Amino acid sequence: MGCSTTPRKEGISTSRLPEKPDVLVAKRHHLLVRWSHWLNVPILLGLILSGISIYWASPIYQHKSDPLTGNFDVAADIGIWICGHVPGLRHYSSPPDWVYNHLSLGPGMLAPALRLHWLCAYAFMLNGAVYVVGLISGGGWRGLLPRRTDLLDAFRMLRYYLGIPFAKLTRRQWPHPSFNTKYNALQRAAYFSVPLAGCLSVATGWAIHKPMQFHSLAAIFGGLDSARVWHFWLMWIFVLFAVPHVILVFADGWDTFRGIITGWSARVTRSEATGNER
Amino acid sequence: MNDNSRGFFGERPLPEFVVDPQVLRRRTRRDALLFGAGTVAALASARLLLPNAIRIDDEVAESLYSPRRTVPTYAKTQITPLKNNYNGATPDPGYIPGWHLTLDGLASGVSVALDIRSLLTHFSIHEQITRLVCVEGWSAIAWWAGVRFDDLLRAYSPMSQARWVQVESSVNLDASGNPDPYYVSLDLASARHPQTLLATHFNGQPLTVEHGAPLRLLVPVKLGLKNVKAITKLTYVAQEPRDYWAERGYSHYDGI
Repeated sequence: MGCSTTPRKEGISTSRLPEKPDVLVAKRHHLLVRWSHWLNVPILLGLILSGISIYWASPIYQHKSDPLTGNFDVAADIGIWICGHVPGLRHYSSPPDWVYNHLSLGPGMLAPALRLHWLCAYAFMLNGAVYVVGLISGGGWRGLLPRRTDLLDAFRMLRYYLGIPFAKLTRRQWPHPSFNTKYNALQRAAYFSVPLAGCLSVATGWAIHKPMQFHSLAAIFGGLDSARVWHFWLMWIFVLFAVPHVILVFADGWDTFRGIITGWSARVTRSEATGNER
Repeated sequence: MNDNSRGFFGERPLPEFVVDPQVLRRRTRRDALLFGAGTVAALASARLLLPNAIRIDDEVAESLYSPRRTVPTYAKTQITPLKNNYNGATPDPGYIPGWHLTLDGLASGVSVALDIRSLLTHFSIHEQITRLVCVEGWSAIAWWAGVRFDDLLRAYSPMSQARWVQVESSVNLDASGNPDPYYVSLDLASARHPQTLLATHFNGQPLTVEHGAPLRLLVPVKLGLKNVKAITKLTYVAQEPRDYWAERGYSHYDGI
């Protein structure tokens, strides 16, 4: 917490304004971007939980039904495997439902799941519009655009992340690559592709939801059935984004987390500061 | 490195300014509380909005409907298997010989009973290969033939204030085989769609009991659950009638 280094010296009588070194902050995130960021948390949670309940009603990954159990759902197989191999779950009452009981609203919840999914889907589209307005009025969209140097810089970042455990073990210096841009190349790739995945999720969602009125939209994704496959894997992009996103914000520290709350970052590097003066 | 900061698409330096650490602390606390409260308020309003989510989506679906927009039709080579998806037990075919279709709520004020022979002889038969989409997510492409609902509406006009038709099957059974009449609401606009059939044939053969012999509704602009099998009665009404699945938490309009 770089901001609380000044000890309070209330007793000094020479000045009623003790010398508190002011902090230099940079405006990083527009208010609307911050709002849409936080609203995405409950919306995406609702979409994923209800989405997996909808998936249960007609799984896209099926096999010939098992002659003993009658099971045909790959997600049920995964639940059976988990309950068979994870200690403490050996006596789980309904292994085929394990996945649905833990990652969705539960099996047999199609009607409430559809209702929640639609509510969250409309909220998600509105929230996406709020995000776009925030990106435009704050000028943040420029920071997300891919660059020519991104491929090389992405490799530098990857090498940095992969080298952290080794550097920790050998107690070696392992400095973070420096960039004079708002985001590093890996962040940019993520923050550019996730909104894109959001747009594709909305498009495939409409194709699945209204396959007759929007049949030409469904046709772009290869028809109703493959639009469902697209929609399913697009969900995983959000999951695969969110997990390292949350881990990295904790690893990166308080300033980054505070940045998406207040919009301000006190971590202003010299290169950024000089860049501002030019 | 400067190529990033030039031109319209180039990244601009972030605006910087100096603040009192106390101000930063206070702002952090305020914004964290605001976002927290906002998210809780969003969750609370979601609970209130949830019952209306279906209504909102029904309105959207209704505004998307156009009588001129037809659904895709397919070639015979694209036909896929269609399972017997009776919600409960499949009815005993014993009802078929004595079957007739009752029309109620007509402009004439009297109810009409039609048997399958008179339907087949008085109306022209239309064929179509269309997709039937289930609310569960699966779908099947099937070859149907039957009478256009619109032709029936022209031959036996509903009373002038009618906006809806209740489509019923009295022979429907529940899972344990007990009578469980099935009824859905259908707006007359969708009933008049050129691809809405009162189907009599499936795969070139008269309907079997599994597929709703002798007459089923085929309304491809709606979810499969509106496509009532073994229809026994059509009632034209002014107000939206009861709907089996809407009473069980699903949507009312079901336009796809």
